[in-house]
Amino acid sequence: MISIADIRKSMPRILVHGLHPGIIQSILDYDHLLSREKPSIVAIVARGRKKERFFWGGNEVELPLYASIDAVPEAVRKSITGVVNVQSARNVKNSVTEAIEKMPNLKIAEIFAEGTPEVHSLELIKIAISKNVLVVGPSSVGVLVPGVLKLGAIGGTMYDQLLDARIKDGGDVAVITTSGGMVNELIRVVTGRGRKVSFAIAMGGDRFPILDPEAAILLAENDPQTKEIVYFGELGGTDEYRIAELITSKKVKKRVIVYIAGVVAELFDTPPQFGHAKALAENHDESATAKKKMLAKTGVVVADRFDDIASSLKKGKLDEVALADAAVNSRRKAYFMSHLSGEANGTIQLLGDDLLKTVQGNSLASLTLSMLLGQKVTSPKLIEFTDFVLKLLVDHSPNVSGAVNTMITARAGKDLVSSLTAGLLTIGPRFGGAINDAAGVWLDGIVNELTPKQLIDIRTKATGIVPGIGHKKYSLDNPDPRVKALATLGEKEGKYLLFARGVEAITTTKKSNLILNVDGVIAAVMMDLLVSELEYTPEKLRELVDIEFFNSLFVISRTIGFTAHYLDQRRNDEGLFRLDDSDLEYFK
Amino acid sequence: LQLPRRKISEYRSKLIINRALGLNYSGWEVSYGKVPDVPKDGRFVLKVDQAIKQRFKRGLIYLDLAVAELPAKVKDLTSEGFNYLLIEPYYPHDAEAERYISLRRAREGIVLSYSRSGGVEIEAAAASIKSGLVDTLDMNKVSAETGLAPDQLKILIEEFDSQYMSLLEINPYVIEVNNLKILDAAIEVDSAAGHLVDGWSEDDFRSPAATLTEEEIAVRKLNNESPASFSLEIINPDGEIFLLLSGGGASVVIADEIFTMGHGKSLANYGEYSGNPSTDETKLYTEQVMKLLLKSKAEKKVVLIGGAVANFTDIKNTFDGIISVLRKYSADLRKQGVKFYVRRGGPRQKEGLEAITRVLKELDILGNVYDPSTTIPAAVASLVKGLK
Repeated sequence: MISIADIRKSMPRILVHGLHPGIIQSILDYDHLLSREKPSIVAIVARGRKKERFFWGGNEVELPLYASIDAVPEAVRKSITGVVNVQSARNVKNSVTEAIEKMPNLKIAEIFAEGTPEVHSLELIKIAISKNVLVVGPSSVGVLVPGVLKLGAIGGTMYDQLLDARIKDGGDVAVITTSGGMVNELIRVVTGRGRKVSFAIAMGGDRFPILDPEAAILLAENDPQTKEIVYFGELGGTDEYRIAELITSKKVKKRVIVYIAGVVAELFDTPPQFGHAKALAENHDESATAKKKMLAKTGVVVADRFDDIASSLKKGKLDEVALADAAVNSRRKAYFMSHLSGEANGTIQLLGDDLLKTVQGNSLASLTLSMLLGQKVTSPKLIEFTDFVLKLLVDHSPNVSGAVNTMITARAGKDLVSSLTAGLLTIGPRFGGAINDAAGVWLDGIVNELTPKQLIDIRTKATGIVPGIGHKKYSLDNPDPRVKALATLGEKEGKYLLFARGVEAITTTKKSNLILNVDGVIAAVMMDLLVSELEYTPEKLRELVDIEFFNSLFVISRTIGFTAHYLDQRRNDEGLFRLDDSDLEYFK
Repeated sequence: LQLPRRKISEYRSKLIINRALGLNYSGWEVSYGKVPDVPKDGRFVLKVDQAIKQRFKRGLIYLDLAVAELPAKVKDLTSEGFNYLLIEPYYPHDAEAERYISLRRAREGIVLSYSRSGGVEIEAAAASIKSGLVDTLDMNKVSAETGLAPDQLKILIEEFDSQYMSLLEINPYVIEVNNLKILDAAIEVDSAAGHLVDGWSEDDFRSPAATLTEEEIAVRKLNNESPASFSLEIINPDGEIFLLLSGGGASVVIADEIFTMGHGKSLANYGEYSGNPSTDETKLYTEQVMKLLLKSKAEKKVVLIGGAVANFTDIKNTFDGIISVLRKYSADLRKQGVKFYVRRGGPRQKEGLEAITRVLKELDILGNVYDPSTTIPAAVASLVKGLK
């Protein structure tokens, strides 16, 4: 079984399944308190956005969100050692099972939900044992290994609480409790005696906690740092009888201080439901008094009153509590975040450096691509290609719809921005917006490991067209010279271009003008170069498709063309444009 | 917080078991005194169907009644506060033939227990009960000893699993001329699995409590509608100590301390809220406790607003809810000389504790406010002192 010593060996890498901002923030605060360079949470699985911002001390940090465990990049998924599960009770069994199956390095998981069906917990017990994962809960507030791991709300959810609890580094008293609400109180009892906790576990008050009291006590017994064990249990259930057996059979030799809550139930013939799910004594031997008597016989220290826990612990001495720094106390979330530019050290910065310095060291193409990708790009290949694309897309005669709209607006006497906008607003699925669509299709083909034939079949069924394929004028016999020029700037063996060519090889057998067009080749070559030069993963390429990066190249370049057509029309000064009657057929 | 394991009615239990075994079952549910139509010429058994143990000893079962006798007896039981009754055809049989069988869910698996000597005295016949995990028992042997066919045993176990039961008890049943007759049955289900079953629903849950007060009903409703947890049980309507507690564990520790100090009989209520309820929800909950408090005929009244050091329940938000109720009832609270004792920690404890201290002073209500540097037992001791 995973031991507490195993958990202490390395910095945890945590996945939070579900978005519980309070718990996530508290784990980040704990990481920051430990002066870590990076958060221990590396992924959040939740629908919605791609990232969430959290505080990192007085500043902010972003954590990535994924829609499902499968959507988490493989390398990240395989590196996960801890899971916080904040799924609904109905989803606990499936989500925890999935986490255990898909995260080969998972050591420990916490289940937060209350009301998980018992049968589901019993099934999870088997899975946890067979896959050697420490699963704590359901209804657990988590596991705390001071100086190493805060898995869950345990220890508190406010920065000052974490400081106050003195859990920055470990002591020698293990705290094991069925009650999550009592765990901080118990930590306080320990620190009140001048001692610190070696680790703390809230097992949850369900009938069948996956990590049961017996296993939890053994964790403490086998933990070299633990000298004494504080155990908080409640009436109901018979788990404590197994603890007694551990002690009688000398499997546990450390000093155990036990408190069993629920003697008040003896006031009643039919007691009300006290405390947690488990806390109803169905038989006499499940009553608090019976369990206390039985445990006392084994020689453990039974704390009759709550204060007896403290007085049973040997006294120690602690340092003063540190105070949170002012930046943490006054922190507030910013309205926007930017990865491109902003003020720092009293100067305006662009892409991580002084504005002027960045501008002077870069060509317009390299600056444009860096801004669009949100990262500094120095690859000569990528810059050369971008430069060529931006030049190539600048204009394609005034006949195209966007330019026509710009010219009409200019002739209506409108200003530069109105006329330019009229042209830009024309860009869309039928005009200039196909680079992005083409990128999306090539990406689908590669990610889903389709053959060009399969992809064409899928597209034919869906819409009947393949973006990036087909031209009015050019054909196999009369190839588009721009496509050839663009392709020569790309990777010779680039898989996206090869795939696009594969598609073209089939479509041209149907009709000779169904050739790879400018949109299709730009998309393919750009993706190949992003992979070879910047190591873009399919997930990152997908994000570029989602945010319409590929179309932005067209928009920027063609802005020059539209602006020029506006200026040209103003110079011509021909007055308002109107269609002649013969230009419009009226159907009565 | 509701106990996940819930007893369902005997009527529903028998329907589930008989149906699974392919047996006919005739029985009539009586709810809130409404007598159903039963065959005119029959003889009947009438019993309280509210998950109450030892009904025979407590006189909650009538045997061998004629149709004409039913309305009066139903009226009697209903007027005692029993809202759910069951009528079945009277089935005379030899008490010696009564047998016992049960299935119980444990960590290790499903435990099957059975005995030749079933019936009301089963506890006295404990030594006769044989038990084992269903995965390890020799089912042919069990079949021979219980008189149930291996198929019937298999069906019971499958039904136990598919209906997410935690306990199924048939006590007694008789086997006469190879016919199985189930005379009494009880099923406890895992209410957390309500969305996974077709055999029962929460309408079938039964509890011994005859009637709930409006305050208890309000809190149950609140609990059902909120992602947070709330519970409230009245122990003694004229009690002196009123609990407004937070946290399943801490609330029991506090009640224990009061009990151990010899003031268990003074407890008016038990209950708790947890899971970071909103200000409004906490207000609704507090309102119910304050209503109980103002109704109590006790001369001295104290309130403990208590809890441990919370993980994520926001102390300021929850205390704001409590404070608004204190304001609402401040005149009555002053008049009755109610004393408040507050002990709590957790997120925003400083703001929460300062706010309640200020308000108690402003409203001229007696009270002591403690932060977590005062232990739970010390705060309880201070409360008990306030009773004197």
